[in-house]
This record gives sequence, C-alpha cells and structure tokens, in this order.
Amino acid sequence: MPSTPAIAVSGLSKSFGSLQALREVKFAVGRGEIFAYLGPNGAGKTTTIRILAGLLPRDAGEVSICGADVAADPVAVKARIGVVPDASNLYPELTCRRNLDYVGELYGLGRRVRTAKVAELLSFFDLADRAGTPFGALSRGLKRRLTIAAALVHDPEVVFLDEPTSGLDVPSARALRERIRTINRQGATVFLTTHNLQEAEALSQRVLILIRGRVAAQGTPGEIRQQVQRYNLLVVTFSSTSEIEAARLLRACPAVLQATPRNGAWHLEVTEAHAALEQVVAFAGGEGVRISGINTLTASLEDAFMSLLTEGGAKGGARA
Amino acid sequence: MSQLRRALAISWKDIESYYGKPPLITWGLLFPAVLILSVYVKDPATYLDIAPGVIAMTLLFGNTSMAAIVVTFEKRAGTFQRLLLAPLALRTLILGKAASASAYGMATALALSLGLKVVLGMPVVNPPLFAAGLVLGAGCFSLLGLAAAVMVREVFEAMTLMNFFRFPILFVSGVFMPLAQLPPWLKPVALASPLTYVVELLHLGVTGRSTWAGPAVSILAGLLFLLASGVLAEALFRRRAYA
Repeated sequence: MPSTPAIAVSGLSKSFGSLQALREVKFAVGRGEIFAYLGPNGAGKTTTIRILAGLLPRDAGEVSICGADVAADPVAVKARIGVVPDASNLYPELTCRRNLDYVGELYGLGRRVRTAKVAELLSFFDLADRAGTPFGALSRGLKRRLTIAAALVHDPEVVFLDEPTSGLDVPSARALRERIRTINRQGATVFLTTHNLQEAEALSQRVLILIRGRVAAQGTPGEIRQQVQRYNLLVVTFSSTSEIEAARLLRACPAVLQATPRNGAWHLEVTEAHAALEQVVAFAGGEGVRISGINTLTASLEDAFMSLLTEGGAKGGARA
Repeated sequence: MSQLRRALAISWKDIESYYGKPPLITWGLLFPAVLILSVYVKDPATYLDIAPGVIAMTLLFGNTSMAAIVVTFEKRAGTFQRLLLAPLALRTLILGKAASASAYGMATALALSLGLKVVLGMPVVNPPLFAAGLVLGAGCFSLLGLAAAVMVREVFEAMTLMNFFRFPILFVSGVFMPLAQLPPWLKPVALASPLTYVVELLHLGVTGRSTWAGPAVSILAGLLFLLASGVLAEALFRRRAYA
C-alpha cells in the first residue's frame, strides 16, 4: 500500500465574500480509513468536499489526494475519487443500467469492463431487478443506492460520501451503512460527512469536528470524547439512599468531586473511576449500607460534539 | 483519444436524452418550413432568395437554444455536476455538448433542406459548400449557446441573453435582405456577424451564386468564428462552470 495519505490537507482556507467558510483547516486521512467529517449546518463540510473533489478553487492551503494536487491535475485526481453528493446527480430519464454505463464511459472504461462492473454494482446494491427502471421512477432510498453505485463504477481509491443516509428509513440506512463498511473493506478510503453522530461513531475509525470553518477536534471517537470529558460519572445505588449525606460521602471519598442524588441513585463525578470505586465501597461499609448497583457513564460522541459546539460545554459533558 | 471517446459518450447520451426526441425535431422544422412556404405561396420565383437564409436562421436559433437549454436544464437538475466530477478536460465537456447540439442543428437543417427539395424542388448545386455552411454554422452557434448557458442559472435568462445577439444579427446578415441593400454604416456590423458567412455559404451551396464574399472568404471567416466561439466558451466555462 502506498505510504502517502489518501487525503492530506493543510492550511486550507476559503471565503465567499465576507464569509470565511474554512480557516486553516488541517487533517490527513490514511489509506483504507473511514474518516467522519462532522459539523453543524454551515460549518464548511460540503465546501471542503467540493474543494477536495475539484469543484471549487481554494483561497489558500495545500490539498493532496493520493499524493496529487487536485488544483494542479484535476483530471488525474478525479479519476481516483468517487463523490456522492448530498443530492442526486444522476439522469432521471435514463435507466439504472444506462446511468451506470454512462458514468463508466465518462471514466474511460471499456465496454466489457463497464458491462461487468455495472452488473456487479446492480447486484451489490440490490438493484438488479430495477436495472431497466428509469432513475427518476425510483424511491428515495433506491435513488441513494444508485447514486452511491455510480460513484464506485471506476473503483475509486477514495470515496466521498456527503450525508449518505440522509432521509432514509432505519432499515435502508442500516443496510447502506453495512455496504459502506464493505466498500471500505474492499480497499477504498471513505470520507464521510453526516449529521448522524451515532452513525459516525459506528462507522469511522477517526473523526474531525468542524465548527464555523475551524477544526474544533479530531482523533478517534474515544479521543474526541476524552478531549471534552473532564471527569467520569459513576451512578451508585445504595440499599438505603436516604441515609447517605452528600457532605459525608465527599469527605470520605476524595476522588469524588461532586455527588448528586437523582432518581434513587447517587450520580458521582469522579476524577478516577477505580480509586473512587474503592473509596465508595469503603464508605458504604462504614455507613452500614449495601451497594445494590454501580454503573459508569461515559460521554458519547454526541456529547462531545455538543460540548464543542456550545461555549463552555465541556463542563457538563458526561452523559450516557 | 480517451478524452475524445468521452466527448462522444457525452454527445451520444445527449442525443439519446434530448435531441433524438421527435417533438424536438418537429419543433425545429415547423417554423422555418412554414416561413419558406409562405414566401413560396406569395411568389414562387423568389423563394430561393430567402431559403438559404432561413436554413441558416434555423441553425442559429436551433443550435443556440438547444445547447443553452440542455446545459441550464442539467445545471438545475444537478446532473451537470456529474460531468464536472468526472475526469474530463473542460474542452472534452464542451466538445461533447457542442457536438450533440451541432448534430441536432445539422439534422434539422438537412431535413428542412430535403423537404424543400422534395416539395419545392430546391436545388443544391454545390453540396460541399452547403455542407461547409451547415457544419461551420452549427458548430459556431452551438458553442455560443454553451457560452451563454454557463453564464446564467435559468433557461429564460439564457434565451434573454442570446436574443440581444440573435435578433440584431438576423437583420444584418443577409437572411431577409441582401448585404448589398444594407446602409453603408451597417455593413461593418454584418462583417462581424458569423451568420453572414453561413448565409453566404448556404447561398453558394443552393444557387451557386455568391451574394458578396465568395467561398474562400466565407469558409475562412467561418473557421475563425468557430475558433473564437470555442475560445470564448472555454474561457467562460473555466470561470463559471463550477459556480
């Protein structure tokens, strides 16, 4: 596998008039990785994809796809990438088969290769029985599948997916996520934007959160959670909650920063879960109460996202 | 070679999707046929004076309109982006789009000419010059249609933009009135119009008579206008196609 990253971006900036859409964005995506690019509406996600796909010039910075600069050699870069925009870009009057065949022609594939690839993709996306149906007559979910299939006709090294499951029902979205994993297992690097943070967490090895055109955080989902999580949360249920006093518990357990009774259990913000557990068990023994349940809660990617999004959000980050 | 094959694929797909539809072909034929027939009914001896000009006018309106309609329609539908995402040089894209629009224009003009030959006995005394007029006119007008289309978002905006150019040149390019009858101050305008040379070539093809410039000047000027239209279209695509 080549050593250059699939995507390398540094100092990427782009403005539209007075609006600065991207500011000094920097990231790299390794070959064979699924990389989630997250951000609220207007954060600059689609602008980034348009620049990487050679649809929009950048104002400043370096962008390289598989070692080639998209601005210097757009034809060569476009031959190595597949792009699935958030809206369909296929021809409503053409059949599913003809749409894929035409895209194959645009990528310079020979007739025999095209025929085989089109059949393979129609089968992979469960569209073989719709091969002769005009694209415009398909349901939203089927249109989405064919749009993704069209981006894969030429076996791209890097696939950009802009909101791939947006507007799909739960079974369709789940099936599509499984197909994305398969595409990745077959060797393609996947660059994914989505508003569905569970989807990003489930699919991607690494995540970047973009807020107002700036990189707010990047790393594995676990690292992102760590960045915003200042403490762990223990939920402890004592056999007799009413007998516990917060002040006594805090005195006995130095690793516990804060203790709040909630729904019959104590929510404990702790610096280190292991030490806190030992101290809480000792405290319970001293108080003569039994511990009937202990749970640890960690921040989700969504918590991290919200925390980064709202000013000072890191302070209240830990939720199940 | 690979890019040429891709340009042909674009052309063929456009013919399949848009230009090959019978209503479109009929639309391109009816208006000029009726115009020539009305002149013929009034005075059968003079219809040959106007027929080459009307065929040229068919090319002008048919090619500029259809090229512009297809591109603005695809921009609105999002399908134009499919082309921009593919590994195509801008010239390939322009060539593919212009070739299909030109094929449509030439097919319509040929069908009209054939109809006139069968119904009215219109001669074509010099087929190569007639063909040169069709090819140069269709290519040049298609490229101008593409250039207008890439500047705007809506079809009506493209039509409005092109009408500023199409209607004035219609009256100074020898379509309805020979160049010799134009006032002297309008003649430089006529020389700057690509339609003038297309009309002259079609006249030469149909009647064998030159109305003013002769074949060499007309072919050379037609080629220059074709080249200039291509350069203009490429420059505007480079600036606006991705907007």
